[in-house]
Amino acid sequence: MLLRHDGFGRLCRARDLLRELRDPSPSIADLAREVQMSPFHFIRQFEAVFGVTPHQFRIQTRLDIAKHLLAMGHQSVTDVCMEVGFSSLGSFSALFTKRVGEAPSAYRRRVRAMAQGPGAVAADLTPGCLPLMGRLPPSAFGRPVRSFREA
Amino acid sequence: MRIKLTSIMVDDQDKGLRFYTEILGFKKKHDIPVGEYRWITVTSPEGPDEVELALEPNANPAGKAFQEAMFSQGIPIAAFEVSDIAGEFARLTARGVAFTRQPAPAGPVTIAVFADTCGNLIQLYQPNTR
Repeated sequence: MLLRHDGFGRLCRARDLLRELRDPSPSIADLAREVQMSPFHFIRQFEAVFGVTPHQFRIQTRLDIAKHLLAMGHQSVTDVCMEVGFSSLGSFSALFTKRVGEAPSAYRRRVRAMAQGPGAVAADLTPGCLPLMGRLPPSAFGRPVRSFREA
Repeated sequence: MRIKLTSIMVDDQDKGLRFYTEILGFKKKHDIPVGEYRWITVTSPEGPDEVELALEPNANPAGKAFQEAMFSQGIPIAAFEVSDIAGEFARLTARGVAFTRQPAPAGPVTIAVFADTCGNLIQLYQPNTR
């Protein structure tokens, strides 16, 4: 699809709106109206541009914030759950576990143990890519090793 | 000193690998777990195999802010050369890729811009003389 300039701007604006934590949380149809698009075109174009539906984007954003807050370690899991706009601890924990691969409390314990000091977030959680290079096996750089038989 | 590796930030490495291989058609070269993330690189089947593009996690808030600002301003973060830009435009739109600029002449090249579904705009260019 080809997006016109104003259409592209609306999708960027929608992305910002989806990040906001408003109470009550606006529906996707509300947000579509706010950026002057039909819900159908909004969902379809948003997914083509950002690779996820608006709903998925909002959930992912909230889980990302939750991960960050848990890594900082100042708040309880319940406080984090409320802060990122979930009303039920059960549904927050279930969704977090499904997406992140471990329960919020387990995640919090593990990443806190990795941190260098109080209030710090472990460097492993916000890496630049190039520092990761130092931890790669040599095979990531060498040319394919050929046996004598192949040679 | 050689240019052999460059990188692009993606908001989700799984999604990024899927888009860059299945949609764009690059080849996966490395996918190695490193701590919380993965070292993922792709190469072009049309280019030298030793030139790699790393799909970098954009977990760092500073990187994310930069990526989003560039995107909202409509500025591409990388450019790939193609030999048939009209053909690529047709091929990619058929696969659901969203373009913000259809192929249009710009000086010595023809340029098109699309969203890579991972938070970036990518420019395609075809030199006019080819």
